[in-house]
Amino acid sequence: MLEIKNVSKTYGQGTAKVVALSNVSFRVDEGDFIAIMGPSGSGKSTLLNVIGGLDYLSSGEVVLDGKRIDNLDENDFVDIRRNKIAYVFQQYHLLPSLTALENVMLPLTFCGLGKGEEKGLEILKGVGLGGRTEHKPSQLSGGEQQRVAIARALVNSPSLILADEPTGNMDQETGKEILGLFQQLNVDGRSIIMVTHDPDIAQHAKEIIVLQDGQIIDRINQKGGKQ
Amino acid sequence: MKLYQIVLKDITRRKKRMLYASLGVVIGVATIIAVLTIALAGETDIYGQLEKYGANLVVMPAISDIDVGLGGLSLGTLAVGENYISENELPQIRQIADGMIREALNIEDEGDIATIAPRLYMNTEIKGTSVIIVGVDPQQEWQLKTWWRIRDGEYLERADQALVGAMAADLLELNVGDKIALNGREVTITGILEETGSNEDYQVFLHIKTVQEAFDKEGLVSSIDVRALCSACPTSDIAGSINGNIPGVRAVAVKQIAETEMGMMEKVSKFLLALAGITLAVGCFGVVNTMLTSVHERIRDIGIMRAVGASRNQIIRIFLYEAIIIGVVGGLLGYVVGTLLAYIVGPLIFGGVAVTYVPQYFLPALALATFIAVIATVYPAFRASKIKIADSFRSL
Ligand SMILES: Nc1ncnc2c1ncn2[C@@H]1O[C@H](COP(=O)(O)OP(=O)(O)OP(=O)(O)O)[C@@H](O)[C@H]1O
Ligand SMILES: [Mg+2]
Repeated sequence: MLEIKNVSKTYGQGTAKVVALSNVSFRVDEGDFIAIMGPSGSGKSTLLNVIGGLDYLSSGEVVLDGKRIDNLDENDFVDIRRNKIAYVFQQYHLLPSLTALENVMLPLTFCGLGKGEEKGLEILKGVGLGGRTEHKPSQLSGGEQQRVAIARALVNSPSLILADEPTGNMDQETGKEILGLFQQLNVDGRSIIMVTHDPDIAQHAKEIIVLQDGQIIDRINQKGGKQ
Repeated sequence: MKLYQIVLKDITRRKKRMLYASLGVVIGVATIIAVLTIALAGETDIYGQLEKYGANLVVMPAISDIDVGLGGLSLGTLAVGENYISENELPQIRQIADGMIREALNIEDEGDIATIAPRLYMNTEIKGTSVIIVGVDPQQEWQLKTWWRIRDGEYLERADQALVGAMAADLLELNVGDKIALNGREVTITGILEETGSNEDYQVFLHIKTVQEAFDKEGLVSSIDVRALCSACPTSDIAGSINGNIPGVRAVAVKQIAETEMGMMEKVSKFLLALAGITLAVGCFGVVNTMLTSVHERIRDIGIMRAVGASRNQIIRIFLYEAIIIGVVGGLLGYVVGTLLAYIVGPLIFGGVAVTYVPQYFLPALALATFIAVIATVYPAFRASKIKIADSFRSL
């Protein structure tokens, strides 16, 4: 469903030039669960941003469902964010003035779907937060906030979820619970690309891609391995 | 959940910033509302005077020195003890006035039409205090001063009676029945007027014959008030005709004075409005500034919204909704503050004019404030929509 072809990304120019990604290629098939690992500054976040259109690439192609998306203009990319790709961030990135439920309903609002409370409630229940729907982010723990963020990512039923260190801010235990949620989503048929520093988390993915200095230096196929 | 609901929920979290943003609008709108409200009060006042005195014209000696006024309108000046009009001119003035009114209104009637009230002003001392005494033709004066009401006693009729203005009576402690000495004569106070709010309150009215005899001014008057039958009567033409036919006098129609005052006021309020407009423009920059700060503070939120599906237009709309709220709040406050300002400043400008709030200004004030806030937000909103999502997360 998703093909990354020879993607490179450089920031800045001249002496300030930074090569964040260089010639990265891989495929993501339906139902894949890919973990991206690598040292800090190796280009993991950049890779996710480029895939999801949060940032432009310098060269190469990103093809989603047979269509190039790397050269789309802003407005066309809005449709992709609304329908096909969703994000989960390390810092949760919830809106502080909205309740958990409202945060989950936010993508529906932008799609022009005024209602969606039932759907939002159902999804919140699905991530184990049925009893916390009216709380503001500041009243929730990190793990709970991340569940809200995951629920928000799910509300539009995307086929691909990009997660940048979703467990980076929590203890082992909570991280495992969040990982469990992602695994459940994967079983339900969604493809997942997850950046993580934690080998314990990564080993549950179907494939691990290791980046260093913007290049793929290793790929570990774990299909049929630990689940 | 709708887009505007997101804005409302977010704004309640940032009330202070919103109030601050609306401050510029408040000041601008308040100034405009204050100017307009005061100008309207002044205009209403002048129209009120016109209604009261619109049919009047005043005949004075051609050279004059002390202030003569009708209500709040200054009618020029008049010299006491130096320049007088002869009583002999009265019939001719009546002839001119009645003749022109007859002609204008097609009246056949032979009797008197205009009210013609001669006056003789004198300065004298009563109980050691300097007072202006006014000799009047009691009957004509009563017809002219339709707003006069007697507080105590009765109206002036005979030569040995006096009618006292309300303030003069209070200050000099004069009562009905008291006697006043006037150059060796004695008159009895027959009545005291209710307060009228004009300089009449400080004057003492006597029969004109009494004043003429007491001060050796037989056959002389200081000024003559002429009241035509109606406001629509050609008072300006009558004044012109009097000026043309009777030497040594100057006749002015109140209408002309009111028109001049109105013209002055329009000029002044236009100037003030221009100043208020500048204030509003400056306020507009204030809004631009606060909005840009607001965009900067919310880069992360904007990035989040974009990442979960907000289009550029939706981001712009969010900021425009905020602008509308700022505008409505600013317009509301501006209207209230401006009206209060008018209540405070109005009477200082137009000595004692009654300022009233003008409900018709409310919606235009809201509309103007909203318009300004929206205009001021276009650029900041555009900036917000151009924020790169990846950058927005990195900035914090
Ligand atoms: N906007 C930018 N301008 C300049 N350089 C950038 C920018 N964003 C990222 N970089 C650089 O690109 C490289 C890759 O950054 P990236 O954020 O993708 O690393 P990462 O693997 O996600 O690191 P971490 O594990 O610390 O999150 C780094 O050297 C970083 O300094
Ligand atoms: Mg990163």
